Parts: sequence; C-alpha cells; structure tokens
Amino acid sequence: MSASSSRLSSHWTTFVAVGFVALVAVWSFAFLGLGEHNHRPALSVLVGSLFWVSTLMGMLMLIMITRVFDAGWAPIIRRSWEFMISALPIVLLLGVAPLAFIPEFRHILWEWTDASHILPSGHEVGHDPILRAKSWFLNENFFLIRIAAYVVFFGVITWALRHWSFKQDKERTAQHTHTLHAVSAVGIPASAVMLTLLAFDCLMALSYHWFSTMYGVWFFSLSIRLALAATVIFTYRLSNGGWLDGLLNQAHRHVLGCLMLAFTVFWAYISFSQYFIIYNANIPEETFWYNMREFNPVTGLKSDWWGVSMYLIFGFFFLPFLLLLFYRAKIIASRLLTIAFIIFAGGIVDLWFNAVPRQIVDKTAPEGFTVSPFISGYLALDLLAIAGFGCLVIGLFLRASTQAETIPVHDPRILESINYHE
Amino acid sequence: MNERNESIHGVACTFRKPADVYHAAEKVRDAGWKYWDVHSAYPIHGLDKAMGLPRSKIPRLTLLGGVTGFIAGCLLTWYMNSFDYPLIVGGKPLWSPIFPFPIMYECTILFAAFGTFFGQFILNRLPQHHHPLFDLPQFARTSDDSFMIVLEARDSQFHLDDSRNFLLSLGGQEITVIRD
Repeated sequence: MSASSSRLSSHWTTFVAVGFVALVAVWSFAFLGLGEHNHRPALSVLVGSLFWVSTLMGMLMLIMITRVFDAGWAPIIRRSWEFMISALPIVLLLGVAPLAFIPEFRHILWEWTDASHILPSGHEVGHDPILRAKSWFLNENFFLIRIAAYVVFFGVITWALRHWSFKQDKERTAQHTHTLHAVSAVGIPASAVMLTLLAFDCLMALSYHWFSTMYGVWFFSLSIRLALAATVIFTYRLSNGGWLDGLLNQAHRHVLGCLMLAFTVFWAYISFSQYFIIYNANIPEETFWYNMREFNPVTGLKSDWWGVSMYLIFGFFFLPFLLLLFYRAKIIASRLLTIAFIIFAGGIVDLWFNAVPRQIVDKTAPEGFTVSPFISGYLALDLLAIAGFGCLVIGLFLRASTQAETIPVHDPRILESINYHE
Repeated sequence: MNERNESIHGVACTFRKPADVYHAAEKVRDAGWKYWDVHSAYPIHGLDKAMGLPRSKIPRLTLLGGVTGFIAGCLLTWYMNSFDYPLIVGGKPLWSPIFPFPIMYECTILFAAFGTFFGQFILNRLPQHHHPLFDLPQFARTSDDSFMIVLEARDSQFHLDDSRNFLLSLGGQEITVIRD
C-alpha cells in the first residue's frame, strides 16, 4: 500500500465517529417523533439507510455482473466495490432492522402492522379486506423473518465475495477467480429476489393498498445508477491522491460513463412503464398512488409533489441523458463527476418521491385525508440521515481498505484492467 | 510529369509491418497532409490518433435523426388522433404526451437508426462502384499481409517527385503511381 492511500485509510475512525454522532441525532428525533405519534422523523432514518442500501446493493450487483462476464476493465475498481459493500449489512442493521423490530416504529411506519390503525375510510386496518387478502405475505411474523433474512443474506454474500477475493492476494491462485465466478452466478438471481422483496417490504409496503410488479426492477435500476454515480465520485477522489492514482485512465471513465448512460435510460424506461401501465389501465386501486403524488386532495390542484415528479423526468432523466450522449462528457473527469453528482442528487429525490407521500387521516378534508407535503423541515433531517449513513459507509470502506491490497494484485486480469483502452 | 497531372490519382507505398505503417502515418500527419489514407487488413490500435483523424461525425447525424423522429412521432399522433379524426380511446385525452409516448420514442429510435445508417453511407461516399486503387495489384494484398499509404493528388502539398521521395524516406517498400 502506498503512503498516500494509507494516509487516506487512517481517517476511517473519524468518519465512523462523525457518522455515529449524526445517526444518534437522527435516531433521537425519531424517538421524539414517536411521542407525538409522528412517523416523519422515523421515515428519515428509513430514507437515509435505504439510500445507502440501494447504492451498496448496486455495487454488489456490479461486482457479481463483472465477475460472471469476466469484465477486463473491472478488477482495479472492483476491489474498491468490495471494500464498499462491507458496510451493507451494517447499514441494514443500524437503519432498516431497528425500524422493523421496534414495534412502535414498525406500527407507525408500516401502518398495516397496526391492526387498530384507523384508515381514511374510518375503518380499522385489521378489518381491511384488501389487507386480509394479502395477509399471507403482509403479516408481522413473516415481515420480521424477511427483514432478518435480508441482513443475513446480504451479510453472507458480501462476506463471501470479499473473502475469496482477498484470499487471492496471498495465495496467488486463479482458483479463487473460478470460485467467485460460481458465487456470482448463484448470487445474481438470489440477490435479485432479495432486493425485490426488500423494495416491496421497505418502500412499496409503506402504502400497502398499492402494488406494482415492476417495483423491484425500479429499485434495481435506481441502485445501479446510484452505485455508478458513487463509483465515479470515489474513483475521482482515489485517482487524485488515493490508491487509484495513476491507474485510472480515460477508458475506465468511458466505460463508467457508458454504463451510466445505459442505466439512465433503463431507469426512465422502467419508471415510465410503471406509470404508463397504471395510467392506461386506470384502476382506482393503482392510480391513487400516482394521484396523491400529483394532486392536493383538498383543493384538487397540483401539489408540490407534481413539481418533484417533473424534476425526476427532466432533472433525473433528461439532463443526465442529454449530457451523457456526448463522448467528451464521458472521458473528461470533471464533467463526468458533475453528471455523477446530478444523478446522486436525483436518486435522493426519487427516494423521497417513493417513500414520503402518505395519506394522513383528516376528518375535515373532503376525501377524509390529506397528503404529507414535500417541502418540510424534515428534508433537512433526511439529508442528515443520508450524510450520517454516508460517513459510516466511507469509514467502513476505508477500514476495509486496510485489510487487503487496494487493487487485486494477483487477479488474472489485473494487467488487462490496468492497461485497459477504448 | 513533374506538374500536377489531372490523370494522376496519387502515389501509393506499401509497408511490411504494422509498426512501420503506424510511424509513417504519424510523419504524414505531422507534415500536414489532408487528403491521404492508410490501408490495412485489420484495425491497428491507435492508428486513428497516428493519422490525426477526428472523431466520426456519425453521432451528430444519429442525434439529428433522433430529434427528427421524436418530433415526427409527436406530429403523427397529434394529426391522426386529435386533428384529422378526433377519437377518444379509453377515456384518455385526444392528445397528451403520455399515451402516445411509445410511438414517439419508437419513432425516435427508428429515425436515429436511419440517421446512423444513411449518414455513414453519405460520409463514406457510398455507393461507389469503382476506385482507382482497385486497378493496383499491390492494393489487393492490403487485405492480406501488406499495408499501404496513399497520398492523393488533390492535396495541395502533392508534387509527384517530392511525394514519392517523402514516402521512400518514411521506410516504404514499393512506390506506385496511381492513375485515374
């Protein structure tokens, strides 16, 4: 390890400490919210952790996809992804898992787990025929088993991918590449199922009447977009005074840029298709989810969520799409970095769009409910949660970087990766 | 024969090794030639840079085709469903950017493909049924085991004897004058 990278890694404790302080603050707000029966601060914890769960899952998928396809460009970047995903089970354990396992948080966030919760229609959740029909899946015990399964599954798979990869540094054998090939071939479909269920449980089930079979694919496409944007950002930093200094070249950026373009289009395709199918079918059980993201149910006029959805179309799809069409935007480091930040910021807005709007019972409103607004002070708490988990992730990433070589020096494709060209 | 002659297409020079033709191309580029070409049986890595070729203009034609296609898709759906024969389908508006979006984006892709396909035909000046190089027996070998640099007569730097000596100085093997 070079001197500059060990200097970088020595900061890991600072990042973890700052992350913990931020998370203690966010969790305190969440507990204070419980007293006022306010779900919103707890939602900040959920949004903050899911943002990083999504990003890290994207990296997990990229590791396995580049393994099964024997991608020649990948090894020098893949080792950093392996460092990153060491944080995935920790983020699940400090964010999603306590929210699900502490009954007060569970009942306030996932209303269907609280049988006595009153719906806008005036009925109790426990008597809701729609919930009863889904109760084979949406019941508290199975829900908790699934949450525990996510922690265990992602703990095991992230450990396995690092274990054999790190072992190769010492044992200098290609055998571990074959092992990881097999682990990835099994891991891709298994992770696809787990991340789909996780998206169903953590996000779709926040509004349990609604359902979309494309939701898992949407979460996957968001994950890959965030992972690629994060990769461009951290490789930029690591190639300026880090362990990728002098290793990362124009061709690596070009590949990352092309993948960013591809998944920007893929995300738009999936997000639009989900809307398009629901719009065309026009079934009330499905359309209400988009209606509450467009109209204020009291005035019937467009709400601030409409502006958010327009931002997603033009700011999260069209702008990065247009910029990434240009070859020079994909190879000039500062331009690619700018686009990565646009995507990173858009990913937060997409999570807000999916997680935050919810029907709040209000007897005075004509339809019996209002919708939680977009603009509120809690956005700052969301950002604090994202920053807190982010510091934790960076800290754990730097800590992991001390446990192995910072590039896989005995990977059979290491030279191909270093000398990668367009 | 010293003067620029209308019946001369240019001079060709063969090279035996890819490295030779690569370095010769760098020198032709540095000498500021505009109308010239390198012939090889396979892509030589980095030759574009050695020849000083700019990036292809095809992507711009693709973008132009795509934008045209998107607008065409908009007009098509608007004209048919909202103007020429207004028809309400499934309670949707006569025209909105949402329900005909698949048509709009399929048109975008189709026209972008047209832009790419016909654009490369135009930029490559195809179809072209004959080329003076085809008369050269040495040219056939560039699709096998030989490499060739051709300096064309329409370049302002072209001067038969000087150009011939220039190619020889680059380490070329066999010099041939190509006639139209």
